Amino acid sequence: MEKNNKQMVFTDASMLITEACVKAGADVFIGYPITPSNRFYQYGTQRFPSFLAGPDEITVMQWMAGYSAAGKFPVSATAFPGLALMTEGLNMAYAMELPMLLILTQRLGPSTGSATTGAQGDLMFTYGAISGHYPIPVFSHSDFEDSWTMTYEAIKTAIKFRTPVILLTSKELVMTNKSFDLNKLKEIKPVEKFSTKVEEPYKPYKTGKEMVPPYIPLGDDKYQVRINASTHNDAGLIKKNDPESMANTKRLKEKFEKRIDEIAFYDFDNQDGADKLIVTYGISADAARDAVAELRDSGEKVALLIVKTMIPVPPKVMEIMDRFNSVIFVEENIGGIYKEIIYGKNAPAKVIAVNKIGSLISPSEIVKAVK
Amino acid sequence: MTKNKILNKVKMPFCQGCGHGIIVRSIAKAMEQLGYTNHDTVIVSDIGCSGLVDPLFDTHSIHGLHGRAPALGVGVSLGLDNPNKKVIVIQGDGGVTIGLQHVLEAARRNIDITLVVMNNLLYGMTGGQISGLSTQKFKEQRHFEVDVPPFDIVKLAHASGAAFSARATSIKTYTEVLKDAIEVNGFSIVEFSSLCTSYAFKKLDELQEVFEEAEVYRNERIPVRAHHKERKSLLDNLQIIEKEFDSKIEKRVGLVLAGSAGGGVQSAAKLLATTGMFSGLHSTMKGEYPVTVGTGFSIAEVILSTTPVKYTGLETPDAVIVVSDDGWNKIKGNIQENSTIILDNSLKNEETESLKNKVVYGDFNRAAGKRGAALAALSYWIKDTGMMDIEALKKSVSSHKYSKVLLEAIEAGLNILT
Repeated sequence: MEKNNKQMVFTDASMLITEACVKAGADVFIGYPITPSNRFYQYGTQRFPSFLAGPDEITVMQWMAGYSAAGKFPVSATAFPGLALMTEGLNMAYAMELPMLLILTQRLGPSTGSATTGAQGDLMFTYGAISGHYPIPVFSHSDFEDSWTMTYEAIKTAIKFRTPVILLTSKELVMTNKSFDLNKLKEIKPVEKFSTKVEEPYKPYKTGKEMVPPYIPLGDDKYQVRINASTHNDAGLIKKNDPESMANTKRLKEKFEKRIDEIAFYDFDNQDGADKLIVTYGISADAARDAVAELRDSGEKVALLIVKTMIPVPPKVMEIMDRFNSVIFVEENIGGIYKEIIYGKNAPAKVIAVNKIGSLISPSEIVKAVK
Repeated sequence: MTKNKILNKVKMPFCQGCGHGIIVRSIAKAMEQLGYTNHDTVIVSDIGCSGLVDPLFDTHSIHGLHGRAPALGVGVSLGLDNPNKKVIVIQGDGGVTIGLQHVLEAARRNIDITLVVMNNLLYGMTGGQISGLSTQKFKEQRHFEVDVPPFDIVKLAHASGAAFSARATSIKTYTEVLKDAIEVNGFSIVEFSSLCTSYAFKKLDELQEVFEEAEVYRNERIPVRAHHKERKSLLDNLQIIEKEFDSKIEKRVGLVLAGSAGGGVQSAAKLLATTGMFSGLHSTMKGEYPVTVGTGFSIAEVILSTTPVKYTGLETPDAVIVVSDDGWNKIKGNIQENSTIILDNSLKNEETESLKNKVVYGDFNRAAGKRGAALAALSYWIKDTGMMDIEALKKSVSSHKYSKVLLEAIEAGLNILT
């Protein structure tokens, strides 16, 4: 891509995310149609080296896991009803430690809700998706540039940590077309998938200090690979009430906790003298950006934190919130889901929530809450 | 180490007298006789008694969820994409019942896996509950589910397109039937009768009668393999738009276009957005329409701005253009007082006449037809407001595959008298 001139196009984030997936080395899109993830399906058929049309979301997740176990990186896109069906399989892939990317396009719930109305209502579900409260990485994007880079980071994280990753988005983020300068996109190179350094004797779930087992696909001609979703030992065989197996199970959480700084993504736009902080993510971020510009124009001092690593919660994000006397959470749901993840049910008085369902939160609604 | 020995020296974990061990040994024997090595073999196991097999095999193995092993195996087989590797999926009758769809889907696609069904007629690990493959004779002994026949998974798989489906009821035939199944290029299934010693024997009088008959079916098919195709970047297909015209828009203009699905509303809105780009503006566009195609309303919102548009909501549009009843009925409850309203003549009635907004009527449908009305109205709006050069709109349609028809609609719009 030429860097000197602007290359203005009219596109949508579904296309940028699909393109970023393939550029990062994703091999197969396994789709089951669901609104508002339809554009991913459509672009998936046009762009991925392989495409499969699944008969239902339970099957989709199993096919993805099979592909991943065989060394191919799978991607799918769904919405809450599909995620609900995929969740047992997602737990399986998580326990097996299989890299994959699941794009979750949020829409208004509960249940089937309104398929074509956006929302930010699924974060708590993803937070609790893994039994035992192990963190599955959930990344969000807040604009077109982000959709590109966070997709890349999501795939890098999936491979580096051998884990499924969820890219959390919403209807308005991926189904709105915008004029966009392609030169803003950074180059994406395919992510190296397989482990080159393997400790002998090889054990499928034996790890070193990086806490992630080497990624070697099933069917390997040199190493015997055993993959297991049930509580297993280093050899990948079922073993319960055994110190090695319990250590292996605890490691699923520890690998993220110990290395959280490697995957802590956020934009912090501070302002000297500001004692108010707006915290937001995803589709509400653009409204917050406009609101912050308006507030600063009117002489108000305010800082903005756009979070992109939703789960696990990076300590750095909480440190930033601790610095401010007033923290305003902006999210398109009832009650404030991210706020509840950070502060629980008993948020301190300094925390304010700006929430709404059924339509986008507007900059003026944010401005009003801050003033 | 690669070797032609498929089994480990591990004691069979099954209950005394259980037939599962014999099936496991028969699988190993069949694979060894066919020349497969342990590194050529992937065992995909399910949950339940049949799910205890992983450590028995000195091969690759993957142990997943109850009922899902055939789907997991499909993923592994397609992902490996290597005819020299054999994926053997093992599950019980309970697993088949939970994941019946996965079995039929694998058969329908004729994916290269061999599915071994160890049918012991019940859920052995949870206390002997009946499954969807429990036979009538077996259930009669338990005094419930009268006249609920079992799924015949062998016939179902065959009807779904499996290259090979069989049921084996005699131990003597096990290895040979398995060899036939494994040698098939495509989906093969073998159901084994392996009566549960713990929960079934003591409740049965006539053993021989509780299973279905042995049978073999074949479909002559080519297996479905993963297809790979390198494709060009989606971004390569996008039109690069450079500023060629001036605009008089000073800050930001928002417009709502409403009509009927199939009336070209979405494509007209997109053309307006690119017209803005040809005029050096930033633009956004989003659409709303029912899930049906070609029926009901179709609404699009376009924002044109001198600076990049972040928030894409449109609380108070500068102009609302409506060209049909469907469009009007959808948005009439949401008209803001500052918006200019441009309506097709057909919408002139008491309701629209009572609007306090500035309202303009034009004969867009008559001039440009149902499919051209939305674009004609936009063309009129551009000319009337003078916000952009009409040549920018023409430029915008010039690369469209229906540019000739679209240009006619634009011309019609320019000649509209209001």
